[in-house]
Amino acid sequence: MTSATEFKGMAVAPGQQGTFPRRQGVQARARRLGWGLLAPALILLLVMTVLPTIYLVYFAFRHENLLGSGSHFVGFLNFQRVLTDPTVWWDLLSTLQFVVISVSLELGLGLLLALMLNKRLPETNLVTALFILPLGVAPVVSALVFRVLLDPAYGWVDFYLQSWGIIDQPIDFFGDPVWAWVAVIALDVWQWTPFCALILLAGLQGVPAEPKEAAMLDGASNLRLFWHIVLPLLRPFLAIALVLRAIEAFKTFASIFVLTGGGPGNSTEVINLDLYRVALQDFDIGAASALGICFLLVLAVVMQQLLNVLGRNTDILED
Amino acid sequence: MRLLRASLFRLVLWALLLITMFPLLWVVLTSIKPADISQALPPVWHFHPTLANYRNVLGGNTYTSQSFSVLLIHSAVVTVAATSLGLAVGIPAAYSLARVKFRGKRFTANWILSTIMFPPAVSVVPVFIIASRLGMMDTFPVLIIPYAAFGLPMVIWMLRSYIRQIPFEIEEAALVDGASQAAILRHVVLPLLMPGIVAASLLSGMLAWNEFLFALTLTRSAAKTAPVGISEFTNMYGTQWGSLTAAATVTVAPILLATMILRRRLVEGMTFGAVK
Repeated sequence: MTSATEFKGMAVAPGQQGTFPRRQGVQARARRLGWGLLAPALILLLVMTVLPTIYLVYFAFRHENLLGSGSHFVGFLNFQRVLTDPTVWWDLLSTLQFVVISVSLELGLGLLLALMLNKRLPETNLVTALFILPLGVAPVVSALVFRVLLDPAYGWVDFYLQSWGIIDQPIDFFGDPVWAWVAVIALDVWQWTPFCALILLAGLQGVPAEPKEAAMLDGASNLRLFWHIVLPLLRPFLAIALVLRAIEAFKTFASIFVLTGGGPGNSTEVINLDLYRVALQDFDIGAASALGICFLLVLAVVMQQLLNVLGRNTDILED
Repeated sequence: MRLLRASLFRLVLWALLLITMFPLLWVVLTSIKPADISQALPPVWHFHPTLANYRNVLGGNTYTSQSFSVLLIHSAVVTVAATSLGLAVGIPAAYSLARVKFRGKRFTANWILSTIMFPPAVSVVPVFIIASRLGMMDTFPVLIIPYAAFGLPMVIWMLRSYIRQIPFEIEEAALVDGASQAAILRHVVLPLLMPGIVAASLLSGMLAWNEFLFALTLTRSAAKTAPVGISEFTNMYGTQWGSLTAAATVTVAPILLATMILRRRLVEGMTFGAVK
């Protein structure tokens, strides 16, 4: 965006620009307009982010139990409790594991799917429209459906795998930690691969034909063509898909809560579920607040990295 | 050879599609099965389809305390209100970030985008406490305000990229003709922004319609939404398969329909104008 298309001020008649006091006035008006238009949105966002953070900080230093007796200042005790709790570290690891595995699978499979959908077939439009449906399904619904389908006793997956002779014993998806992780990640991959594919497909459709044709005339193989011409042009879209998915993956609650509830034990418990358990089942608001603040700090670092990825690979952050 | 490869490719594509669609097909299939065979193993594939589950769910003829159609209405109210609120504050904000020049703009824009990272599971505790102190538990605003805020970073950034693509000369021309700032926003920018508004509404509406954690935590009955209602068809006494799948179908269908129809708009918005 060049400065010529920016609003330097409103209703500036020709010839009035340029003199020093006048410019000051114009700038002040632009500033008032800018902040005035932003104010309602900023208030809403402050109410939902900064205000809760202030509450968290306040509670994090207090003994605060919604059921138990009186609240009082306890210093760093809550932080000490949270940071020395092995469950918390395990859950943080689980969170990172969940995000890294799901998002890389979604990007990889999404790219494959996008490449398939980029081929011109008579049914491409219909198939694409159907493929993207999972991204609109409420996570609660998809998690409930997966839970029912994967149930070892009456689920269809174990039944058909057994009757087709692929497995002898039903897989205990919710009793075995490894299989529980498979279920959690399968659900996320099912739900969000289409989202990645959709973004990457938009990128593929924007790849101009000329360089491809030129390379093909030079005898470049399909793989080289993809690696040297398509992939670089796709970079901004990969960055956008990665960032949007990573953000949402860190916020995932409903699907894991409904599918495994963090179980068996706490093997699939991510920080978001931990927070829910501590705050709304144990009612230990102090510990939950301390944990919330620690998580926010981790996420702030992650978000900065993700913004860097966006900044390096796309121009959408440019002013 | 070429033909063979092409038909093999199509076979793989359709097989993949079938696997992807399977969970959704299962939901619809189970929702139209008679109650006595809905859980049968091996699964019954030949049966007389029935709409009994839909009649029961929508008519309130289930074991739950509330009719599911009431929850759908709650969901609709919350979704429409949250989306409207998000657009009402988001459009001016996006315009400011796209067009007005002032100090601190870049920082503000990036801060707005960063708030997208704030997990609902973190904010739900303070909001729970604030809401109960204000006596706002189980009311619509306690869902509408957070939902509008959840979608807002994306709404603002999406709309900003759309506004940037509107040639500024059009606004300049209106300015020269003596139109006021408000008139320009309303009569020049807004009509040209419609595709962006559609994309932002779909995204923000989807978030609100599908949200679970806040609805679960902050409502009991008067503002309870459909996703929470669906989850209640399964509990420690077992799962009401027919009701669950019928309710799920009714809840998911409008979003899926909108996604299919507005697919291109949605991509356009989510790639922030990276697609030219």
